[in-house]
Amino acid sequence: MIRSLREAGVLWRRNMLKLTRVPMLLFFSLFQPLLFLLLFSQVFSRLSEMPGFGYENYLQFLVPTIVGLTTLNSAFQSGMGMVNDIDDGLLDKFLIAPIRRSSILLGKVLADATRMALQALLILGFAYIMGARVETGILGVGLLILIAVLFGIAWAGISNVVALRTGNAELTMLIGILITFPVLFLSTGFMPQALLPDWLGTAAQFNPITYLIDALRALVNEGWNWTAIWQALAVTMGLASLTLTAATRAFRKVIS
Amino acid sequence: MDKTGTEKEDRAMITVENLIKDFPGDVRAVDDISFRVEKGEIFGFLGPNGAGKTTTIRAIVTLLKPTSGKILVDGFDVTKNPQAIRERVGYAAQFIGVDDDLTAHENLILQARLHNISTREAKKKANELLEIMDLQDVAKRRAGTFSGGMRRRLDLAQALVHEPHLLFLDEPTTGLDPQNRRALWGHLRKLNESGLTIFLTTQYMEEANTLCERLAIIDQGRIQIEGSPAELKATLGGEAITVTLPETAQQDVFERTRSILDGMSGAAETKSYNHSVAVFLEHGSSRLAEVVRALDSADVPVARLELAQPTLDDVFLRHTGERLRVEETKRPSMRRPHGRSKQR
Repeated sequence: MIRSLREAGVLWRRNMLKLTRVPMLLFFSLFQPLLFLLLFSQVFSRLSEMPGFGYENYLQFLVPTIVGLTTLNSAFQSGMGMVNDIDDGLLDKFLIAPIRRSSILLGKVLADATRMALQALLILGFAYIMGARVETGILGVGLLILIAVLFGIAWAGISNVVALRTGNAELTMLIGILITFPVLFLSTGFMPQALLPDWLGTAAQFNPITYLIDALRALVNEGWNWTAIWQALAVTMGLASLTLTAATRAFRKVIS
Repeated sequence: MDKTGTEKEDRAMITVENLIKDFPGDVRAVDDISFRVEKGEIFGFLGPNGAGKTTTIRAIVTLLKPTSGKILVDGFDVTKNPQAIRERVGYAAQFIGVDDDLTAHENLILQARLHNISTREAKKKANELLEIMDLQDVAKRRAGTFSGGMRRRLDLAQALVHEPHLLFLDEPTTGLDPQNRRALWGHLRKLNESGLTIFLTTQYMEEANTLCERLAIIDQGRIQIEGSPAELKATLGGEAITVTLPETAQQDVFERTRSILDGMSGAAETKSYNHSVAVFLEHGSSRLAEVVRALDSADVPVARLELAQPTLDDVFLRHTGERLRVEETKRPSMRRPHGRSKQR
């Protein structure tokens, strides 16, 4: 266990160094969420006047969605990083070293988690400047980021499966966008459940993103809604067990 | 275990027996290869792209599972004890594995740390290797700004950071200009003199000739012949005489030339390619006049006549029927093509 952590730590550190050398890696996943935050909070600001909306203003309502979107984007960055490491011959360098295979994956997960946490924090910082406030305070922010990061790790499993199966960074990014958008709009991300058309409301209930955003939204707007929090964690664990198993299998196939 | 047997095992650094590697789609990249590499020698695989060189190396360094066959490295079996092998071997792949965003120094520290070397020890080792590889002045520069030759040397340093017993180099000088190539050869010789066993692959006969104590010529997944460069050339039996005909020469002239050369005493088999016919002739250098007279009396128009000591290229031609024609000035991409192409 300690050995795995030490080995993973070496690889984590390498990724952190890259983050400082190429700040783009940190901001890469932020542009689109920031654009959405700025535009949507203005365009849809009158929505909060609708009966049944139930939130103070659209910005407060939107912030959790944008945090979620950021981690989803960042998750697909993970797959692109995997392809780049393979193309640059770096994965071979890790594989030829006398470290455990699992440490390579653990190092990547830890590095992805750190990057996602920093990105979520940056987005919350921007939202704060725009006037958004988190009901549950600093502790709530911590839990919010933790939930978002865990969900992001689960989602990163999908991106790594795509990356390892296609071996193409651009394609991974494209598929990421193609998956992220429908699932985001088929959730309660931009409209409360009550205001969604019936069929969409039903679809949203089967969408894992809905549970992520509901929990984040509760922490930002309501308070410590433990039902929403536990539901989000349970959905995340279920999703992670599927995606990370598939990703590990794809990884094994590539390195065998 | 009898003593001679033990001694024999002790000298072997690599033993490969009946290695076969198949890739999906019925591609047999390595077709029943067996060979030994002795401790302390420089051993080479000479062969064209796609011959199976990289696949063999990747199987030995535990990056590819053999389809069948046995591989021992320093007494350890690749399938049973891969970790022990990873601790003992250094591997510089054909496609250089350096992180462009990290400095040369940081890349070396990373590799050292991955080999369980303490941070303090890693720093010391990194500085030492940067100096050996003439990279001390650019130690703090990002690897992404390096020239091809510098990247090769950094990659070589990476492969040496854990003081391996055995170094694998897959086409170490592909893409390097002659000056950088010679400098790298110098580094490799020094490393070998200090006791490091080196296994390299190359498609350059000059490289195989100058560096390797022993080599195997490999083509289409099989070892065609194995021995020291001098031994291999001696198998051709004499000097090479190449007769080149004018481009207008008809097939019958071609055949006539071939049969004349074939008929000379002490001639080893003739080979023809393009507009040339080559023959290996015992004491060939003193018999040029004889060749010219024979061709002249048969009315063969000769465009060019060459006499040469046999080269490894000739050995290659003899065993594969093809020339090892590699454009040494061509610069292949230093990056991998898209995706994880299975190199063979």
